[in-house]
Formats: sequence, C-alpha cells, structure tokens
Amino acid sequence: MTLLPRVETMIAVFYFGLFAASFDFISGYTGYLSFGHATFYGAGAYLVVLAANGKLSVPYDTPFMLLVVLAGLLALGLALAIGAVSFRLSGVYFAMITLGFSQVIYVFVRDWDFVSSAPRDGAAVIGPSGVTPPSFDIGVPFVDALNLAVGQLSGDTVEGLFGVLNFSTTEVSYYMIGLVALGCYLAMQRIIHSPFGRVMIAVRENEERARAVGYDTFRYKLAAFAASGFFAGVAGALFAGWRRSVAPDNSLFFLVSGDALLASIIGGFGTLAGPLFGRLFDETIREFLSKEGAGGGLLPYLREHLSEGALATEIFNGLTVQEAISTFINGHASLYLGLLFVLFVLFVPNGLLGTLRERVGDTLAGAVDERLRR
Amino acid sequence: MSEVVLVSTLDALGQFLRPSTLAEVFVDGLSKAAVYAMIAGGLTLIFGLMGVLNFAHGSLTMFGAYLGGLVLVVAVSQATGPFARLAYFFVAAVVVFGLLAALGGALEVGLIRPLYDRPPIYQILLTFGVTLVLDEVARIAVSFYGLQPITEWQAALGTRPGVLSESYTVAGVGANGLDLFQVAVGALVVGAVWAFLTRTRYGLVVRAGSEDSEMAEALGIDVRRVFTTVFALGAGIAGVAGLLLAWDPTWGASVPLASETLLPAFVVVIIGGLGTFRGTVYAALLVGLVDAVTTWWFVNAIEFSALPEMTVFLILVLVLVVKPQGLFGVAEVGGH
Repeated sequence: MTLLPRVETMIAVFYFGLFAASFDFISGYTGYLSFGHATFYGAGAYLVVLAANGKLSVPYDTPFMLLVVLAGLLALGLALAIGAVSFRLSGVYFAMITLGFSQVIYVFVRDWDFVSSAPRDGAAVIGPSGVTPPSFDIGVPFVDALNLAVGQLSGDTVEGLFGVLNFSTTEVSYYMIGLVALGCYLAMQRIIHSPFGRVMIAVRENEERARAVGYDTFRYKLAAFAASGFFAGVAGALFAGWRRSVAPDNSLFFLVSGDALLASIIGGFGTLAGPLFGRLFDETIREFLSKEGAGGGLLPYLREHLSEGALATEIFNGLTVQEAISTFINGHASLYLGLLFVLFVLFVPNGLLGTLRERVGDTLAGAVDERLRR
Repeated sequence: MSEVVLVSTLDALGQFLRPSTLAEVFVDGLSKAAVYAMIAGGLTLIFGLMGVLNFAHGSLTMFGAYLGGLVLVVAVSQATGPFARLAYFFVAAVVVFGLLAALGGALEVGLIRPLYDRPPIYQILLTFGVTLVLDEVARIAVSFYGLQPITEWQAALGTRPGVLSESYTVAGVGANGLDLFQVAVGALVVGAVWAFLTRTRYGLVVRAGSEDSEMAEALGIDVRRVFTTVFALGAGIAGVAGLLLAWDPTWGASVPLASETLLPAFVVVIIGGLGTFRGTVYAALLVGLVDAVTTWWFVNAIEFSALPEMTVFLILVLVLVVKPQGLFGVAEVGGH
C-alpha cells in the first residue's frame, strides 16, 4: 500500500493548487477574503471550452497556450470590474460582495443555454459541428515540435526521449501542466517579493498606516486582485484543458472558493507555496478514503487484510463491519477533511508550511541553505 | 419578431398592474419575506452580538428541516385531523428549537469560545469547517436511513395538512394556505425576537453586549454566557426556519438545503446592515417582494429561469454599491 497519490491526482493538485495559491495571493497577503474567487477560475475554464467549441469569436483551433493567456486576461478584466466596486468595502462586507458577484455569475451561467444545451450539466469540448475537437497543446504556440498535448483521456505520449525516458499520456499532462503551474507560481513569488508585494503585506498589517505613508492602497489592492484573478483564470484554463469539460458546480460555485480556502488554511495562510501543499494534503486524504484509491486507499487495504469473518461481524443492529466501512468512510472524505480543517483552525492556525517556517525560523529553502553551509 | 415580444411584454405589464395580480404578488412576496426573515433572523442575532458570521447557519437550518420532518412523520401516525397536524407543527417547533439550541450552545462553548482572542476571520473559517462536517454527517445519516436519493424528502412533505394546500380567495385575491401560514409563523417569530430584544431584561443585556461588550463586562455582565445564550437562540431559530421549509415544496428537506438557505440568509443580513435586527426584517421584506415580482415575470413573460435566483444576489450587489454599510448598518459592528 502506498500513500502517494496517483499521477491523475497530482495533476489536480497542480491546477487546483495554482488556483488556491492565487486565492492566497490576494486573501493571505492583503487580508481581503475574496470569497467569490471561483468566478475567475470558472471564467478561465469556460473560456477554454467555449473557444474550443467555436462559440467565441476566436478560431476554434487557437493554440491552447494562447487560450490560457486569454483566460487569464478575461479573469483579469473581470477582477478589475468586480474589484473596482468591491474594494470600497472591507472585512466581511468585502467577502460578501465578492460572493454576491460570483453567485450572480454562477446562477446566470447555470441557466444560460448559449453555453450548452444542458447548461446545468456544463459543457464538454466537442468542437464545432462536423470538426474533430482540437487537442490542447502546452509548449510554444505554432511550433509543432515544441508542443505536447494534455488531456484526461487523450494527449501525447513521449517515447525514447534522450534514449531512455518514456512517458504515458497522463505523465505528459502531469509534466506540462506542472510546468505552467510552476511558471505561474514563480511569477506570483516574484510579485510578492517585489516592493509591490511589500505594500500588499503593509495593507494586511495596517492599511491606515500604509495610506498615511503615502501609498494609494486602493490601486495596490486592485492591482493585486487583478493579478490574482489572472492566475486563477490560468488555473481554470488548465483545469478545463485537462478535464476537457466544465460544469457550473465544479468551477463557478462558491464552494469551489471554499476548497481553495481549505487548501490555504491547511497549507498555511499567507505562504504562497502553502496552498499547493494544502491541496496535496486534501487530495491525498480524499484519495486515501475513496473506494477506488488506485494509489492504494484505505478501503482496498481493509478489504484485503480483514478476513471474511471480520468483515461480516455484526457491530450494531444488523450493521456489519463491511457495511459500516462503506457507510462511514467511502466517499465521505469531506467529513474527515472538515474535522481536520476545524482542528487546524483551532490548533495549527499557521498551517503546515507556516508552522514549519516558524519552527525553523526562516523559509524552508533558507533554512536548508544555512544548514548546508554550516 | 421583436414586435411580438414587445406586445406580449406590454400585455404582461397590463396584466401585472391589475389590482388583483398586484395583491397576489404582494401576498406571495410577504410569504417569501417571512421565510427570508426566518432563515436570516438567527444569523443576524449571532452576528449583531458576537461579530461571528456563522457559516454553519445553513447547516443548522437543514438539520432543523430533517429533525422537524422526523417529528412530524412520527406524529402524523397519531394525528388525523388537519388541526391536530397543525398543533403537531408547534410541538415539532419546540422540539427542534430545543435540540438545535443545545447543539448551538455546545458549538459556541466547545469551538468558537477559544477563538475570541484571534482575528475575526478565524471564526468565519471555523464555522466554515463546521459546515463541512455537519453537511457530511447529514449526508451519511440520510443515506444510512435510506432517505436519499429523494432530494425533497417526500415523507415530511406528506405530513402537511390539507388546509395549507388549498387556495383561499378573499375579495378576488387568491392566496395559498401555506403562504398565509408562513406569513403567520414568520410574523410570530420576528415579533417574539423583537419583544425579547426590546421588552425583556435579558434582551437589554444582549443589546448592551452588542453595543459595547467591554463596558457591559465592566458593569458586571457575564458577556461570555450571553454569547452562548444568543448563539443557542440563533441556532434554535435556524432550526425552526428549517422546520417551516420542510413543508414548502419549493424548498423541502435535503442536504443541499444548507447552502441554498445559507446564501440568501447572508444576503438578507448584509443588505439590512450587519448587526441590526430591524434592518434584517426590512431587508427580508425587500428581497421577498422583489423575488415575488421577478418570479411572477418569469412565470408569465420572461423565459430566463435563473431570473428570480439571480435577483437576490443582484440586490445585494446593488445595495452594497450604493450603500456599503447596508440599509440600516453602522460602520463598525463587532470589530469589523
């Protein structure tokens, strides 16, 4: 039994971790809880699917990398519009107005028959009628040799790279989506460590003082929100590119923002890499408690290692061990995640990464560096 | 083509402006307002005093719907006449209020109390985690007892007495029995909370605590205990609201009811202005009436099914754009 998640799960960690990082970028660093962040993620995802279906005024076979950038820009524009109104408010009001905007968009898209014939179920990449749907290539646009296609059930394989490396379609997707996510992470990292990022943190720590020092905090907040929206849009585009479909409930719904919040808190609020680890933690537990658990979950393990007799043992009122397992564990990872989340809020408020940093007194990379020099 | 649309819109407008239609929409709006006031009432009490935006409120409402439905289903085997069933509704209300108040009190003491020294965001986060747990517990219980996959729990709907399913016409204005019942229950609860806040000594203590908790503490009031009481009270009201929804075919008892009621409750509380019970009641009226009007237009003239649901959030956005503190809000409540 291995505890490591499957490659498929890791891909989800990449794109959703990127979304969670973009949520943390605005919420964790400026202190403004963006509770409607799923809007930007969903906008990116919908843009990719609609463009590939030829429903937008871009060619349906626009290179995926351009769509990713377009998705980011669309989300950036939305973030500017929503942010311009929302940043007049702070605290709970800010969280609520962003939530309000996101729910308006969610309900609208859920019933908008332009998206697909069954908008509630979402839209899949089918291409314009009579045309094979486009493949989503990550690489250098317009240079075939430097592109690799990603996708859940389709995509490229690599054989004999440097004579030894072979990758399945899933592994290709893993590396390519990982590359984009890494690039975005580094870009956000760069912004956080720039003078601009210092102002964001100043806003979080004491906005009045930041304003008194002479910063136009509204502009800084809006710019940070727009940047955050851009990366959330990119994350949504990666999600749609991998899944080749999108639905309102897995992209625009407010609980998707909630999942990002979960990842940020568990990983460490106000640490950019934390949400990635938080999502890894989240996905690992979900996978561990799910029935299939292809990486080797708890249920297959119990089934293999408990004897028939033990499984058929009655615990209470005709409820056998087997039934109890499938009732209380299978598919109910949210329960245990929720409990963990509550415990984290109560006892580990800095999250995994934040607590580690506190312990070593530095960023982890810095601490390792120092150890090595000693 | 567009001419046809225009004519039918004008027709619809003419029909809408008829006094009887307006009156019917008004009654419908009142019943919706009663529901909104019920689901938001407990939330606003908790926020007003403690500054805790309770994300678990919707889950408590959902628990109330299932528990209340359970009491009603059990009671139906003993009640035959319609008025006996109505009487059992109030028995169920008392039971649900008690159970949910106990749960709410336990949540406050066990989980929220340790967080008062931290920034208010941690209380929001904690109650968000509690929602995940409560919803999943409900999902497990519901699937365990075989109530799913029926999303609207038919058994609870079936206990609704016939008198509430009929329409009554007074002076040419038709109204559904259930609507009238909802208005009555909503008015009762709002009146009771209002009387509690303004007419009782404990209500005075609660208001003092929400105005200035440090000063109240200095005057010898145990604010912590008041917090627990108010949280229990808010949870109890959420439960009764859930019970009321268990009879309503457009809501019904289901696990997603938690987020379906949580969001409108937030909207109403924010529109009214955080921390004012009066504002919440007015906001519920506003949202209820606008909801009723858009529902009428959706049914009769406009073919966009998302319209009524979208309106609720559009009102939120509009109010916050025009008046960031909400209709009756004051700038600084509960440290926000």
